[in-house]
Amino acid sequence: MTLRGVCGRLSDRARVRLLQAGSVLAVLALWEGVARAGWVDPLFVPTPSAVARGFALVAGPAVDGLVDTLSKTAIAYVLSVLLGVGAALVIGSVPAVNAVLHPFVVALYGMPKILILPWIVLLLGFGTAPAVLYGTIHGFFPILILVIGAVRDVDRTLLTVARSLGARRAQIYLKVILPAIVPTVLASMRLGIVFCLLGVLVVEMFAGIRGMGHVMGSLANGFRAPELFAATGLVSAASIAIVLGLDALNDRLSRWRG
Amino acid sequence: MSVTVVAIRMLLLIGLLLAWEVGARLANPLLYVPPTAVVPAVRELLALRSYPDLPAHLGLTVREIALAYALAVGAGLGIGFLLAMNRTFGRAWGPILAALYAVPAVVWYPSLMLFFGLDAASKIAFGFLLGFFPIALAVLAGIRQVNPQLVTVATAFGARPAAIFVKVLLPAMLFTLVGGLRTGLALSVVGVIVGEILGSRAGLGSLINHAYGLFRTADYVALVLLTLVLVVASDAGASLLERRARRWTA
Amino acid sequence: MTQLIAIERVAKRYLTSSGAVDALADVSLSVGDGEFCTIIGPSGCGKSTVLGMLGGLVQPDTGRVLIAGEAVTGPDPARVATVFQDPGLFPWRTALDNVAFGLELQGVPRERRRRIAGDLLGPLGLKDFAAKYPRELSGGMRQRVAIGRALAIDTRILLMDEPFGALDEQTRMLMGDWLLDIWRRTSKTVIFVTHSLQEALALSTRVVVMTARPGRVKTVLPLDLPYPRSMESVEVVSLRAKLWHEIRRESLRAMSEA
Repeated sequence: MTLRGVCGRLSDRARVRLLQAGSVLAVLALWEGVARAGWVDPLFVPTPSAVARGFALVAGPAVDGLVDTLSKTAIAYVLSVLLGVGAALVIGSVPAVNAVLHPFVVALYGMPKILILPWIVLLLGFGTAPAVLYGTIHGFFPILILVIGAVRDVDRTLLTVARSLGARRAQIYLKVILPAIVPTVLASMRLGIVFCLLGVLVVEMFAGIRGMGHVMGSLANGFRAPELFAATGLVSAASIAIVLGLDALNDRLSRWRG
Repeated sequence: MSVTVVAIRMLLLIGLLLAWEVGARLANPLLYVPPTAVVPAVRELLALRSYPDLPAHLGLTVREIALAYALAVGAGLGIGFLLAMNRTFGRAWGPILAALYAVPAVVWYPSLMLFFGLDAASKIAFGFLLGFFPIALAVLAGIRQVNPQLVTVATAFGARPAAIFVKVLLPAMLFTLVGGLRTGLALSVVGVIVGEILGSRAGLGSLINHAYGLFRTADYVALVLLTLVLVVASDAGASLLERRARRWTA
Repeated sequence: MTQLIAIERVAKRYLTSSGAVDALADVSLSVGDGEFCTIIGPSGCGKSTVLGMLGGLVQPDTGRVLIAGEAVTGPDPARVATVFQDPGLFPWRTALDNVAFGLELQGVPRERRRRIAGDLLGPLGLKDFAAKYPRELSGGMRQRVAIGRALAIDTRILLMDEPFGALDEQTRMLMGDWLLDIWRRTSKTVIFVTHSLQEALALSTRVVVMTARPGRVKTVLPLDLPYPRSMESVEVVSLRAKLWHEIRRESLRAMSEA
């Protein structure tokens, strides 16, 4: 039973997984080899094994930092979803409001939010408040834009039908518009979490005393490469896990739509 | 677009400016910088009195953006097409690419700072990282939405793979591709700016940090406005090219 | 009459996600130069596969497909042009540039190919639409452009896979008349796949009836009638009954299997 025979027998999907795992292992092996051979300065590019050891070293503060970051992100996330969806409902469903505000919304969305970060820090100091505020702002806009689009795309016919059956304004929002925009809201929530997390991390790096951003910043300043790589990996894994989790939740909730 | 709408927008804008002016004066003019304080600051900035080195810093930032974007386009198109044209590679690495996109890009920044230091290189690297993903993903998305019937037709008429690529695939995916290129530029710009603000010795971001650090809030606002002009100009340029591209394919 | 096209004992099996499907079992057919040969049969009988083989897009598992005595190995735009049911026009090209596409692939210089394409537009009834894009054209017009594209490369053989399938009945009949006119002026050999008995009877010199899957040639009906044909004439009516009798059982078999 040759390797090729086994590979030929595998299903397409298994083959893809094998290639993925194989290429990741190959990259790690190459990385280890290159770093050991001294082709790259081990101060800047530690070997994977050093990173693994660094993980053990930094685990304590890294996990604390991660928990801190994630709690700030959670608050910012809830706020940005509520504010984003709420504002989008208003702006999207009242054509006059949308017509007037549209360029403002687009302009604010396109503006790099980091430009106002120094000002926010000036006002709110270091710590949790600026992180939560900035994270909220960061997550708010993509959610707002997406949900406005969805509200405006709600089938006119559905609204007409509801109105002809005597639905009042509140009922139209509750029973027609909200259910219709659920898929987009879910999609925007999936997008929003990454933006909120990003916002919080940026504040922690810029002016933080706690949190993963601050931890990573200090590790970078201290030239502690293995620990930094480990911490980066930890945050990345956490982010991917959260997004995958939201995806799974999304799938579960949307199963009825087929 | 009706005149009323434009009028209301103008009123809204003026109203906001007035509210800002009054509110800032009442609360703390230094902290909240009323518009009347911003105007002279902008004048000082443009006259190169508040920051005489402004052109040098601006030039550096622009160069960083140009280089970051050029790298992002090269790598984005290269890797994007590699993944798109080679089915096994694409199916293996495509999801990995998408997964990496789920990670907030700023987590890579401390590593870049460690590796490249505080100089331009780390900003270029960060701008490259941010601009790379939308471009590569746009290539993949663009190829995926090409109507397969068009490829069948071209094959039936005897087109070779090279001709199919140039005459069918490229025009069919151009719209998606150009959208990705435009997003990539916007993100490269943001990446460089974020990198500079998070810590740099030169460039527009460093001036912003400097002003903020010394409580020169009016200068800070003026610098922010200048940066916004840069951002808007680059996106306007991109959208012009986008329109040109659309005319060329259609 | 020399047999321009010879299909000898051809079989084809497709592997789908739900198992193996025998599209063609044992198909043999020959078509002479200048004929208008219609292939008719129930859904899934492999008519499109036969056409695909003639066009060099599909390779038979067993048997041979010969054109002018030579085996078909791939698309041969020097000899064979295909029109598909989905016109497959390039949306970014004007009608004129779509018609000129085959010529462009063959390296015909721009002036010449635009002239050839332009000259075709008149008989195609599209003279005023040369600069229009596919999205500005009706379904019938788009199909005419597709036919024009096939005619432009001036091949001896024209393959047409249910080209009028997506059109309404009236347009179909008009397009049929128009196609006949072109055929008689150019003396091409046409292989025409259709579901429609009406089309088969109105257009062909020969009708090939295929069985339900796996497809074989069931009957070949020569139609030695002058053009234009009246659908109410005695010969046509009796031929129609005969044709339907041949097809009916196969159609029932295909229906029960589906």
